[in-house]
Amino acid sequence: MKRVALVLVAGLLAVPVARASEQHPTQAELEGEVMCPVCGTTLDQSGSPAAEQIKRVIARRIAAGDTKSEIKDRLVANYGDSILAAPPHHGFGLLAWWLPIGGIVAAAVLVGLGAWRWSRAREPPPRAVQLDPALERQLDDELRRFEP
Amino acid sequence: MARSARLTAQVLAVAVVAGLLVLLIWRVAHDSTANVSNALDDGRHPTAPAFDLERLDGRGRIDLATLRGKKPIVLDFWASWCTPCIHESKRLEAAMKQYGHRIEFVGVDTKDFSSDARRWQRKHGITYPSVHDGGGDVLAKWGGLPIPRIFFVARSGKVVGELITEEDLPRYLRQIAES
Repeated sequence: MKRVALVLVAGLLAVPVARASEQHPTQAELEGEVMCPVCGTTLDQSGSPAAEQIKRVIARRIAAGDTKSEIKDRLVANYGDSILAAPPHHGFGLLAWWLPIGGIVAAAVLVGLGAWRWSRAREPPPRAVQLDPALERQLDDELRRFEP
Repeated sequence: MARSARLTAQVLAVAVVAGLLVLLIWRVAHDSTANVSNALDDGRHPTAPAFDLERLDGRGRIDLATLRGKKPIVLDFWASWCTPCIHESKRLEAAMKQYGHRIEFVGVDTKDFSSDARRWQRKHGITYPSVHDGGGDVLAKWGGLPIPRIFFVARSGKVVGELITEEDLPRYLRQIAES
């Protein structure tokens, strides 16, 4: 119960943080989410002239009050989707987000199914053992000897 | 039931392997190293890969295919962040004064911000038209980075050569002007 409450509180706290990041993005976070078009790394990892050019554009747009989405849209319009470090959450890009999750779920289902079948195969079904009446009588006699 | 489940799993596994095989064949067939520059290195003269891109100055588009058979072309891949591009573009600008009536000079501004590119053209006095290849898709077909890259296309549409040393510029210009 405590854990559920903690997760809920953390989730509620994350919403305003995400909204602030969208409305007032920082240079550092955008540099980590945008690729350098000539070096194959994010902008924050690159000092190439092409990366520096995009950093300047980002700084200008932040100063102009653009949101994170507006800045990214502007970059995508100019360079294409490949300028973003993470694939977009629409169109073909969705596949990159959902395919790993689908794979993990499918693998979990398969492992669960396998484990269930394996455990059932190891447990023999309970069988009612019927003793011979003479043997049962003898067993009762023997047990009675131990009774006080 | 167990048998049909096993059969389904086997069919799925074969389908996945077949899919991966098709993907592998497709990747090999669409070899990313197959580009104009590499073809020229191998001694071949491929047909210029077509493109149809917007002009930087906003005056419509340039469709390379429509120039085929009409005029030879000098294709200059550049960007405003590329320092050596300034020198090469200025040389082409000077060459255009001499050959502009016989050869089409086309710039391809690549992996660049279009507003910076326009400013760069004004600053350095580059007047031949350029198209905008922001994502670098066209550049990749011609050889990719580094830039500048300058190609010479004959009237027939075949790529005659790529400028490797500065001294080759007059020779290539004469060659395609006479094509």
